[in-house]
Amino acid sequence: MSHAISPDGAARELQRIQRWMQAVIAHPDGIAAGVESDEARREIDIALERIDEVVSPSRNLPSEERLAIYGRAYYSRLLECLRSVYPIVAQTVGEEAFDALAFGYLRDYPSRSYTLDHLGASFAQFLDETRPDRDATGAPKETWPDFLIDLARLEWAIGEVFDGPGIEGRPPLAAEDLLAIGPQRWPEARLVPAPCLRLLRFGFPVNDHFTELRRETGLREEPGQERSDEPPLPDPAATYLALTRRDFVVRRHALNEAQFELLHAIMADETVGQAITHAAEAVPDLESLAADLRSWFHEWATAGFFSGILHGTK
Amino acid sequence: MTSARLGHANLGLGVGLRTAHFPYILDHHPPVDWFEIISENFIDSQGRPRWVLDQVAERWPVVMHGVSLSIGSSDPLNFDYLARLKRLADAVGPRWISDHLCWTGVLGTNTHDLLPVPLNEDTLAHVVARVRAVQNFLERPLVLENPSSYVTFASSTISEWEFLSRMADEADCGLLLDVNNVYVSSVNHDFDPWEYVENLPHRRIVQCHLAGHTDCGTHLIDTHDRQVIDPVWHLYRRAHELTGGVSTLLEWDAEIPPFPVVHAEVLKARQYINVAHQGESPARLGGGPAIEHEAAAPVRSTIKARQGRDFAVPHPLHLIEAEVQ
Repeated sequence: MSHAISPDGAARELQRIQRWMQAVIAHPDGIAAGVESDEARREIDIALERIDEVVSPSRNLPSEERLAIYGRAYYSRLLECLRSVYPIVAQTVGEEAFDALAFGYLRDYPSRSYTLDHLGASFAQFLDETRPDRDATGAPKETWPDFLIDLARLEWAIGEVFDGPGIEGRPPLAAEDLLAIGPQRWPEARLVPAPCLRLLRFGFPVNDHFTELRRETGLREEPGQERSDEPPLPDPAATYLALTRRDFVVRRHALNEAQFELLHAIMADETVGQAITHAAEAVPDLESLAADLRSWFHEWATAGFFSGILHGTK
Repeated sequence: MTSARLGHANLGLGVGLRTAHFPYILDHHPPVDWFEIISENFIDSQGRPRWVLDQVAERWPVVMHGVSLSIGSSDPLNFDYLARLKRLADAVGPRWISDHLCWTGVLGTNTHDLLPVPLNEDTLAHVVARVRAVQNFLERPLVLENPSSYVTFASSTISEWEFLSRMADEADCGLLLDVNNVYVSSVNHDFDPWEYVENLPHRRIVQCHLAGHTDCGTHLIDTHDRQVIDPVWHLYRRAHELTGGVSTLLEWDAEIPPFPVVHAEVLKARQYINVAHQGESPARLGGGPAIEHEAAAPVRSTIKARQGRDFAVPHPLHLIEAEVQ
């Protein structure tokens, strides 16, 4: 049995009108270009002067202007949505440049989901695919597109953590429980990461940039504050970040490389002992690592990074 | 004979649940009768939005109002979406589930707009079959709303009120009468909103919507960003008389003011409801202008034309922004 009602004779006419209208109102160059497009003409091969044969004029507006209401609304609505998902990218490149990027994105990646929550899912990928600085071999020549891509990855991850699974209402693994584990059991233990824990590796200090621009925005919202210059494009630098969520608010925790490697291994279901071995590869001084481990785990447990602990072999 | 409101209770005067009001609602427990949610804002949520919804559903009656069913689309029904909708309904226990007589996209695309269908026999048969399929799947009657629209089709052969009436009877579904949408579409399409409201099957009307719109001079746009205008209140009063009273909800989706302002706006309905119950002539009431019965008075004198607002974005825009420290 199929519930999907496929177009029979009656619905084929409806299908033709709907495919035509969608091609017309979602055309990036407007209604006239939409009517002339291949997508529209494939369904209804009609010139702009004759569109009254499909869409009726009203007393006040010709058909083309009536369709244009939907055309403007399509892009306005979705651009507004992308601005709210990527506010720091938008602030970084400026409103005009962001709208141009977002417009191109909507053209290449129209929504295919029942929810606007998925609309921006491929934005970082789009920025990479359309970066304008590739040379003849396809290799990138500039660093600023990488910076924007990193920033977009950060903002998308924040949105995912915000509305994804969390540990609210369930006690995370307490720091005391973690530190009470005997030294002989510790190397074989496995820590269960909280479902909201996300690790991110960047080529730029995008977390600092995020903080700086949010601070700038906050200052600007206070009366009497002058707009200061936007921070310059930061130099490339490997940076690491953990995202998690507590009390339904996303929390950002800057990490160093050893911390990232350690947590990365824990999230890959390795034992604490194996994870420490990975972290050790990232530090020149093993003694300082040993000294740091206790405070790191204490801090992470306090921040709710872990939801439980498993002992014994897998 | 069909039960009034399809047997559903009259929940009173409610407000659309919006993110901006989450803290106020949880802190103050305002004396609002009920809440309507945008289903898609919660359908996948595992964070604060869903937690807030659970708190709200414990205290108030909740109705699920969707924007992505696309019942009028020529694409196949999206049963993944419907399964998620049903799962949310099973968890939240809404009084009913509603969406719009519209299509949102084809070829797998979602325009996130509520696009109108050609109103003819073929579309009617298509929509009725799909409403039945959805109702079978959801195991409950569907309630469908008349959308605001900005185009009509040359292939339309029947009026919107007649289409809705026949659809509701043939598919045995409910209707959500958006009084503001009737008004907006009546101006945009040169028809008489009073004839529309008079002729619907009133026992199938489960709920009314109210909202504000933007006057662009040559047309109106359903922006949900301001107060309800007097002519819409007058239409609402008539709808109340004809239905005997149904659950009424105010939508405010842009330029959202503090919760008490939104709540006060829907409470204005009391003066129209109470007077309607006393059987007085609607034309004498409310302090508004004389009611215009002529078809499509193009721009009502009660609204100042807002030229330059041509880029007003119609409802729906629904997105919950992330909170990050």
